[in-house]
Amino acid sequence: MVLVLVIGDMHMPYRKAALPQKFKKLLVPGKIQHILCTGNLCLRETHDYLKNIASDVHIVRGDFDTNTSYPEQKVVTVGAFKIGLIHGHQVVPWGDHDAIATIRRQLDVDVMISGHTHKLEAYEKDGKFYINPGSVTGAYSALERDPVPAFILMDIQSNTLVTYVYSLANDEMEVKKIEFKKSVPEREE
Amino acid sequence: MTGTLAMESEQAKYLEAAKEVVKREAFNMQRCLDKGQLMDGLRHATEMLNELRTSILMPKSYYELYMMVTMELTHLTMYMSAEFIKENKIADLYELVQHAGNIIPRLYLLITVGVVYIKSKECSRKDILQDLVEMCRGVQHPLRGLFLRNFLLTSTRDVLPDVDETSADTGTVDDSIDFILLNFSEMNKLWVRMQHQGHSRDRTKREQERLELKILVGTNLERLSRLEGVTVSKYQNHVLPAILKQLINCKDSIAQEYLMDCIIQVFPDEFHLKTLDIFLDTCCQPQGAVNVRNILISKIGRLSNYAQADPSNIPEDIKLFEIFSGKVTQIIQSRTEMPPEDILALQSALIKLALNVYPSETGYVDQVLQNSFNIFEEDKSRAKGCSTELSRMLRVPVDHYQDILTILQLEHFTPLFSFLDHRIRKELCVYIMEHVIQTDTYIDSHDQVDLFLTMMTCLISDQPDQPKEPEDPEDFELQQSLVGRAVHQMTSSVPDQQFLILNMCKKHLLNGGDKRIQYTLPSLVFRAMELCRVYFELKEEDEKWEKKVCKILQYINSLLSALVKAEYWDLALRLFLQSALICDLMGIQTAETIAYEFVSRAFAIYEEEVSDSKAQLVAISLIIATFERTINFSEENHEPLRSQCLRASSKLLKKPDQCRAVSLCAHIYWSGKNRENEGSAMRETKRVLDSMKKAVRISNQCMEPSVQVQLFVELLNKYIYFLDNGCTDVTQAMISQLVGKIRDDMPGLEASEATNQIVQHFNSTLAYIKSKHGMSFPTS
Repeated sequence: MVLVLVIGDMHMPYRKAALPQKFKKLLVPGKIQHILCTGNLCLRETHDYLKNIASDVHIVRGDFDTNTSYPEQKVVTVGAFKIGLIHGHQVVPWGDHDAIATIRRQLDVDVMISGHTHKLEAYEKDGKFYINPGSVTGAYSALERDPVPAFILMDIQSNTLVTYVYSLANDEMEVKKIEFKKSVPEREE
Repeated sequence: MTGTLAMESEQAKYLEAAKEVVKREAFNMQRCLDKGQLMDGLRHATEMLNELRTSILMPKSYYELYMMVTMELTHLTMYMSAEFIKENKIADLYELVQHAGNIIPRLYLLITVGVVYIKSKECSRKDILQDLVEMCRGVQHPLRGLFLRNFLLTSTRDVLPDVDETSADTGTVDDSIDFILLNFSEMNKLWVRMQHQGHSRDRTKREQERLELKILVGTNLERLSRLEGVTVSKYQNHVLPAILKQLINCKDSIAQEYLMDCIIQVFPDEFHLKTLDIFLDTCCQPQGAVNVRNILISKIGRLSNYAQADPSNIPEDIKLFEIFSGKVTQIIQSRTEMPPEDILALQSALIKLALNVYPSETGYVDQVLQNSFNIFEEDKSRAKGCSTELSRMLRVPVDHYQDILTILQLEHFTPLFSFLDHRIRKELCVYIMEHVIQTDTYIDSHDQVDLFLTMMTCLISDQPDQPKEPEDPEDFELQQSLVGRAVHQMTSSVPDQQFLILNMCKKHLLNGGDKRIQYTLPSLVFRAMELCRVYFELKEEDEKWEKKVCKILQYINSLLSALVKAEYWDLALRLFLQSALICDLMGIQTAETIAYEFVSRAFAIYEEEVSDSKAQLVAISLIIATFERTINFSEENHEPLRSQCLRASSKLLKKPDQCRAVSLCAHIYWSGKNRENEGSAMRETKRVLDSMKKAVRISNQCMEPSVQVQLFVELLNKYIYFLDNGCTDVTQAMISQLVGKIRDDMPGLEASEATNQIVQHFNSTLAYIKSKHGMSFPTS
């Protein structure tokens, strides 16, 4: 079992003071192997915070990140899954499923992760899996009314990817489970 | 070092030799007793006890020897109890042992026999006890005397009269009290006398030895506390005054400090409550060099715990806080030489008392803070060098209340900051700010925000006493980000109040100067955007919402102007775009004007201040993406803005950048919205295709073959996107033309990882087109 944390759009200090306490209690060192971060950490401290949770941290650059060392997009392979990562402000129209699918084709990945909209999403489309972990702080967004703090944990075992979607509406934690099986033989050629 | 080692091995040698003798004589004594030869037994016991006459052993070794000897004496006690009580010869024996030659063995034996005598009940217990405690005066050597009297105290443990004794003959608890008090004062005198013996250069060593012996003296007090007959009134009228008298008269600070603490530890809480005044008065006596600090802190701690365990423990009429506070003030005022750390330690103890015992009385805490302030204000030199202690004291209420709002009510909290060094003041501010964030406390009125930010001045703006050299940039960023984060804790759920809060924050944060505002102002901008949204949601209920929104938008504008003035171009551009979106959402005339202004200012920054070509592409893409999301621009404003997007895109320096930006513009014509089409997408198919064709044209001019093919594949995908979204004017011909171009150019590309990726991208695109739209493009 490999646990991958998908998290992003913290927007500290500009839009939020801190991660919700309930999330902080869950996100402790020693449980998670990889972190895929959709960017907009803004605060240097947040990078260190992620590093502390897991040593393997991948971050792409959000529109409010000043750290120029973060790439615009990234491909990471975990087990049988090839995973693409992009913040999403580059995808026009923002949050548009077809536009994100275009990026997925370009990166040739099984799972496409993007953020920016602060809207939590996990869906399958044309046999591929798409994830938007929302904003872990529930930060303000012009695109989303009252964003809910959220993040996603992916449990990857051979050909199966189980996602646990954690969200915090009115300080009540909710966890939803979504499973995605990779159709092994028919990769698009 | 070698000196000590040599001394230690010497000591060990002496001790061993003495122990040998004790072992031998004890063995002989036991053998004689076994044979019933008491007189011989006593002779050996005397020999054994003679070892305690030594002056060579240090307290630690002497103690070891003493333990060994007294252990052996229990055999003698047992023998005598068994043999003599039945034969009624104990009185004779009591006389007999008084003839022993040396005083040490004589008194040890006398005590041993005396206790058996008392137990036999043939005599007046009272007289024997008095006899023994008086006779011990014969030993005036401190070490030997202390141990002898300790032997007396422990041996008589079970025979002292207590509550159940009422007969005056056999003695009452009062006799026990007098017995112990006498023993105590004699022991204390011996103990104090140790200080004044020997050479003055050995003082430290001597004090060390004294500390090793203190428990012998303290045992008397502990024994007193175990007497059930010592009631509150006996304690108040007799016991405590006698002890305190001894303490004052001995004029010895080690004795005073230790025994005061002993009193506090061994007697019950209710005794302390009843005798608070007399105890505290003794502490305050100026002639005693008593270390009042520790004694008072210990006393406050003890009673504070007692009160916390059950508030009803403290009677209504005993105002603990007032009593202690009064005494502490009196002591600090009378002892001008008291070091500031002692003053602060006492004040901290008072604060803890107030917090623990009177949690609802914030006035008490404030009173302590005020007293501290007055002390330092009166004589500023007293505050020198105690920043750390003062800061620690100020953290006590912060940690206790877990609520910044209560701290803000303490009028004298912030003024004390002025006595802190700059560095420590800043650390304290950081500590409090982190605390506010961690505890997720909201500061929800503009008055409180004013108080809070005034308290935080050290982080908010430059200070006259700050170091000349600039701060470590990382630390600075961390601190200022903390301020930016804390802005989100200054929140009211009442929108009008929230606007007052935002204005108050702005007033303070603008004092931060150019280097701070990049971290702090954006938070205010986003809070303001949120507030716009709140009013927007309330538009049915609040008829003035439009006016209020406009005020907020002006507020945002003023903040952004400050960032522009400080030349934070990237940040300002992004914030202008974010602000434009919220203006646009409002859907009102005035807001539209401001939104237009914001977008044009973003354009202005893009054109004049963004020079790096990569940053230019990022910026224009953001502008286009943002503009695509707007919904309420009238055609009159929409038209120039979208033309501007297209114009700026085609003016980019590098062809690939031009191509990508222009193709993004196609989205504005497709899914962009304006007020005239009331929320539905523009669907300007012709303009979409024009932009796409233009993008294809630009990519044709691209000189680098692999980049060109990559652009073709990207554009192919963009066509598919429009096709997917129902743009039926995208024809198979257009697509096959692009596919053809790609197929023509692909073979010419150098083999590389990049080329592989392009091939893969192209193939998966073709597969998608086939599966989704049933189009296939066989190679000719």
